[in-house]
Amino acid sequence: MTNSLLFGIATFVYFFAMVLYVSYLAFRSEMLGKAASLSLLGGVVVETAAIGMRWYESYQMEIGRAPLTNLYESLTFFAWTIALIYLVLERKFKIRTVGAFVAPFPFLIMAYASLNPNDIQPLVPALKSNWLISHVVTCFVGYAAFAVSFGVSILYIFKARAEQFSVKSAGSFWGFLPSSSALDEIGYKTIAIGFPLLTIGIVTGAFWANVAWGTYWSWDPKETWSLIVWLIYAAYLHARITRGWRGKRAAILSIVGFAATIFCYLGVNLILSGLHSYGGAS
Amino acid sequence: MSADEPVKPAKTDGTDWIDKIWDFLTSLKLIVILLLILSALSIAGTVIEQNKPLQEYYRFYQPGTVALFSKLGLFDMYHSWWFVACLSLLALNITACAMDRYRGIMAGMRKRNLILDEPLSKSLQNLETIRYALPLDAVEKKMVELAGKGFSGKPVVTAAEDGGSHYFFEKGKYSRLSFFLTHLSILIIFLGALVGSFFGYKGYVNIFEGETVSQLGTRAGKIQYLNFQVKCNTFHAEFYPSGAPMDYRSDLSIIQNGKEVIRKTIRVNDPLTFEGVTFYQSSYGGLPDQITIDVVNRDGALKGTVTAPFGRKVDIPGVADKVEAADYQEHFHMPDGSEGGRAIGVNIYPAKGGPTGLWLLVDHPEYDKQRGGDYYLRVKDLKLKKYTGLQVNRDPGEILVWLGSILLIAGIMIAFFISHKKLWISLRTDKKGRSELTIGGTANKNRDAFSREMAQMIQSLKEVS
Ligand code: HEM
Repeated sequence: MTNSLLFGIATFVYFFAMVLYVSYLAFRSEMLGKAASLSLLGGVVVETAAIGMRWYESYQMEIGRAPLTNLYESLTFFAWTIALIYLVLERKFKIRTVGAFVAPFPFLIMAYASLNPNDIQPLVPALKSNWLISHVVTCFVGYAAFAVSFGVSILYIFKARAEQFSVKSAGSFWGFLPSSSALDEIGYKTIAIGFPLLTIGIVTGAFWANVAWGTYWSWDPKETWSLIVWLIYAAYLHARITRGWRGKRAAILSIVGFAATIFCYLGVNLILSGLHSYGGAS
Repeated sequence: MSADEPVKPAKTDGTDWIDKIWDFLTSLKLIVILLLILSALSIAGTVIEQNKPLQEYYRFYQPGTVALFSKLGLFDMYHSWWFVACLSLLALNITACAMDRYRGIMAGMRKRNLILDEPLSKSLQNLETIRYALPLDAVEKKMVELAGKGFSGKPVVTAAEDGGSHYFFEKGKYSRLSFFLTHLSILIIFLGALVGSFFGYKGYVNIFEGETVSQLGTRAGKIQYLNFQVKCNTFHAEFYPSGAPMDYRSDLSIIQNGKEVIRKTIRVNDPLTFEGVTFYQSSYGGLPDQITIDVVNRDGALKGTVTAPFGRKVDIPGVADKVEAADYQEHFHMPDGSEGGRAIGVNIYPAKGGPTGLWLLVDHPEYDKQRGGDYYLRVKDLKLKKYTGLQVNRDPGEILVWLGSILLIAGIMIAFFISHKKLWISLRTDKKGRSELTIGGTANKNRDAFSREMAQMIQSLKEVS
């Protein structure tokens, strides 16, 4: 079907964008940087068309539903949000060098998605809810912001080490990166964007669970892990705002937070079981 | 967290034990540590599966480990005393911090410095003096217009000794309350959960089509009586061609004092609420209502047909025996392990001697022939009585949970994205007769953005002519 073809092309464009971002970091040419951003944007455009097409095709099949409900669709949507949110933040914070650490995600996630069945299945009763869309979208935009913070934090750790041990010359590789204090600040700001969104995602999820199953909180592994992620970032924010944690300690917490995010999103489905396990053997 | 606020008043005597406890409860370290401990405990709760029947655990753990874990509450840890203790400590910590910070926050909202004097101007990072050839009142008019754009509202004006004036603008003063909003909302959510667990119940009830109930069994094992009756008019389950479920729906009526007050078709994701009690579509099933059986001779001749209401003994025509439909299985396991479909367990009571039990397969009508009596039974028709399985909840605390959630989101948004900005401007005529404007400002959050905003404003003030 057309949507699969478009998803395939998007995966390829994301691969291209990843290579360009890495080359940009390696060769420090503005041209390469512009090409990297453009091709990531191209990937987003193609994937937007793919998602729209899939939605449209579901109506043609008389199923008619948002493409956000199985593992394949959620992975592709996750790749899409990461690429999109990264581009927005790249523009806002002028952090193109971070791309080498963030752009691999859309490609890897799409490649992983392609290993999963991608036929359009009709919805089971529990998923027929308008809360589904607000829940999934807010969670994923939040996750995407955390992914950007993760990339920034990794870059921070490299850069801070370089600033400590080597002489900085403006033309060198390290001089090319944003200053460590700028990276530190951006790492915080992206979390400040993701955290409210994750909060909304958890609340809409609880609301939906209450409408569908009659409990807003049942400590199932997915719920618990989203709470864990929330607590880790809350700890990050408190450590930073009230105890002045900055720099390396903050960067490490941000990396830990993103690792927990990925586990919450994928690990819970693949390793633990619960209400949310889509795809799988349920 | 902001530079322009006074530190909380120094304690008179830090050795007092009440002070020590207070310092511990309000310590910022405690917050971070508690948040991380709660995360770690929750991780443990997702690794060790919770609330399974005990025998399941024996499959994974040594008996000694099971006994130990069970004693420590690790199999139901979210309700264990130590998890609840951690949550209580969190609540205490939040309350104490809120009390501790109350005075500082209120002080931050008060207008203290209305004029841009020497000490204040030293503490500001965005300070600039601009001189104009224009008369004072022209500058004032333009200035109030320009500054008013970013700081909607009128300034507080104070006359200076040298004939000039001081202007104080501010914005986002109440964003300082975001601290209470975020933190107290967490307490409201906890309170909602407590109210729900003390004054609410969760239960479960099956209602047959056409039948009415007015009580149900709760999860705590009690009988809960309702002030009204619930009737299930019909239940429908629909499936996709693949066999996956498409829709479950029950047509319910609420009956009070003999009158139907509400009628609604509920589905998964679309429950019915009446007088604070909510009914959720949860499961369904069926039991045979009555069964029609052909009695057939060995040679294949029909002896007669009998209709047996479920659970009642009836005479078999042409034979001295009686038959009773006593059991039902949706998926019968044949002796060879294959799936036999729907099956009815019947007892045959001969005139003399004890009863025999046998299975009649609805989808394999000749199955009973193999038994080898002088006649066999063949299912002609089976009427099923369907029931809908409803989860029933009453949760008076729910409203608090949603209220707390909305306040939490609002509080977090305000905390991150709105800051309390203050702007001071003074205007006077300098010694050479020019109009002199001094401007300075401060914000309690996001200072980079505020500096940019200030730079822009200063730029446009410079362009006034
Ligand atoms: C364990 C309980 C908690 C305690 C004792 C606590 C305490 C504090 C304290 C003392 C501050 C310092 C505020 C300042 O210096 O202006 C703060 C800030 C903050 N806390 Fe918490 N907190 C707790 C839990 C949480 C949680 C779970 C969240 C999650 C949303 C949260 C969100 C915030 C935010 C957003 C701020 C910044 C507030 C501002 O900028 O005014 N807190 N908290």
